[in-house]
Amino acid sequence: MIRFILADLNRFRLGAFFIAAIVALAVALGVAVTLQERALRLGSARAAEKFDLIVGAAGSETQLVLSSVFLQPSALPLMPGKVLSDLEADPRVAWAAPIGFGDFFGSSPIVGTTTTLVKNISAGVSEGAVFAREGEAVIGADVMLPMGATVKPMHGTLGEGGHTHTELAYTVVGRLKPTGSAWDKAILVPIKAVWDIHGLGHHHDDGDADEHDHDHAAADQNAAKPAGTEMAEHHDGHDDHDEHDHHAIDPNEAINEQWQGELPGLPAVVVKPKSIADAYKLRQQYRKDATLAVFPAEVLTKLYATLGDVKKVLSAVAGGAQLLVGAALILVIVMHIGQRRKQIGALRAFGAPREAVFGIVWLELFGLVAAGVVAGIGLGYLAARVIAARLAADSGFHMPVSFAAEDGGALALLLLAAACLCLLPAIIAYRQPPASALRG
Amino acid sequence: MIDLSIKALEVTFPGLATPALSIDEFRLAAGGKLAVTGASGSGKSTLVNILTGLERPRTGAVRWGGTDIASLSESRRDRWRGETIGLVMQDFYLFEGLSALDNILLPARLARAATAEMTERARELLRIVGLSRPEQKVETMSRGEMQRVAVARAVVRRPAVIIADEPTASLDSESGAQVADLIMTLAEREGSTLIVVSHDPALIGRFDKRIRLVGGRIAAETIEAAA
Repeated sequence: MIRFILADLNRFRLGAFFIAAIVALAVALGVAVTLQERALRLGSARAAEKFDLIVGAAGSETQLVLSSVFLQPSALPLMPGKVLSDLEADPRVAWAAPIGFGDFFGSSPIVGTTTTLVKNISAGVSEGAVFAREGEAVIGADVMLPMGATVKPMHGTLGEGGHTHTELAYTVVGRLKPTGSAWDKAILVPIKAVWDIHGLGHHHDDGDADEHDHDHAAADQNAAKPAGTEMAEHHDGHDDHDEHDHHAIDPNEAINEQWQGELPGLPAVVVKPKSIADAYKLRQQYRKDATLAVFPAEVLTKLYATLGDVKKVLSAVAGGAQLLVGAALILVIVMHIGQRRKQIGALRAFGAPREAVFGIVWLELFGLVAAGVVAGIGLGYLAARVIAARLAADSGFHMPVSFAAEDGGALALLLLAAACLCLLPAIIAYRQPPASALRG
Repeated sequence: MIDLSIKALEVTFPGLATPALSIDEFRLAAGGKLAVTGASGSGKSTLVNILTGLERPRTGAVRWGGTDIASLSESRRDRWRGETIGLVMQDFYLFEGLSALDNILLPARLARAATAEMTERARELLRIVGLSRPEQKVETMSRGEMQRVAVARAVVRRPAVIIADEPTASLDSESGAQVADLIMTLAEREGSTLIVVSHDPALIGRFDKRIRLVGGRIAAETIEAAA
């Protein structure tokens, strides 16, 4: 029987191939949707797990999470720098670190922060060391720069009509171990350097803090503004001083993370509370007035709820496609059986039992469909991997594409449905009277 | 070996005023040889379908060696046919992609009746019908060769009855004569009852007992004394 089926498939190999291919594509669609959604969920949860609590200026919770956890460029409102010093002094806080963005190098965001954050989001450096001077940078695992490379920050990205800063160029001194998050694509620099470049805060050593007015106040009105620290909290009353004055920043100055004096405005502070109870208390405390505190995990859960609906729609579309393909295939196959009634009648006439005819038709069809399903799973997996790889290359955000135990059940259900669907042509062949098939 | 007995058989098709086949009584002894002739539409094909059990007669009885095939279920009739009837048809109904040997054994294999002994017999039959390459794919054969494979397939399970429906009609006269020879020889050798439906005079002429169908009825029955 098997040999007959193989010979028959070989005879109609083109048709058989297309049937399997169409089944494969329909299955791949469903598999890719399921895998991709799961990958996104796992990947983003993994990316957010280092960020227990994020405090930012009042505004969109989602935007705050997307900008800080996923480093998505956007104009975040700023909150007073005092929030950071308050949090650092808070006994319920294990550590707190500012993040400031706005500059890019190529497509890599330059994130100003402190060594505390750097040490906490990554398992350490894979080469070199964490920045210790104002002109030093440590890069994420996916940033394609050699040690010692010079990074000239650009305000905004090229596509947004940004301009290059000339005040300071960073030197890459270390590379972090992979975190699987968007931070792998980032270039981390001392927050103080970001402030200084944008003419914010006090340059404690040179004693000419009054001269700190900077042409950004003007530039920012034209340039599309990514979130930045430059939203002029500190102009020291020298707004009329619009002379293009590039203050000298000493790249070799050792960084000091014991803040002195008033801090510039900040888009976000990452907070590690000491306990869960502390986390809730802190969130409550910073959820009023001008600040907003969020648990990224909670915000993501809300996002998934939306995403879940989208997945439902996509799954329904994929399911509909599978149903259509199934129906179309059954139609084609029933027609094909009709065209071959003579052959089927002949098998019976020569002494093959009708059960054998039933078996042949069912096995041949189910074999084809099952091959298509298996190929489709492979294809869907591959597609999900390609999509994930593309996204990872763009954003540095890694999405683990993997099968879960529940997929086995879905696969079994799909095969069962296919097996049932294949029964129809088999029953038609079984019931076909051999005599009328041979006549004429 | 089994004999044939037909009684009060009438086969009608919806939409046809006259029955396609109507035979009051007919007998053929076990091991007998019969040629059936008649114009197209005279009921020859219907007779073949009834005799092979491909179609179930609603009126009358068709008994092969005491088995009323009308009383058998569809599945039982399939099994009975496989064991009892060897069929040769005008269109050979060989299955492309399979070798000559596999074609001969296919029905037996599908009925789970194939044995090593039967495979041996199939090889021997291929030698008898004059084909030297059992593994040759049937689609590469000439029509004459194909019909010879079909003849070997018909007899491989040692059927008690061989029924051939226009076995030479789609062959040239030389191949037709070869095939006719083979059918006669093999039936003789196995002692099978042989019924041939044909309008090939060369083939019909080799039968002592002949019936001619006209409008579904036996119009003439000829029995020649053996020469």
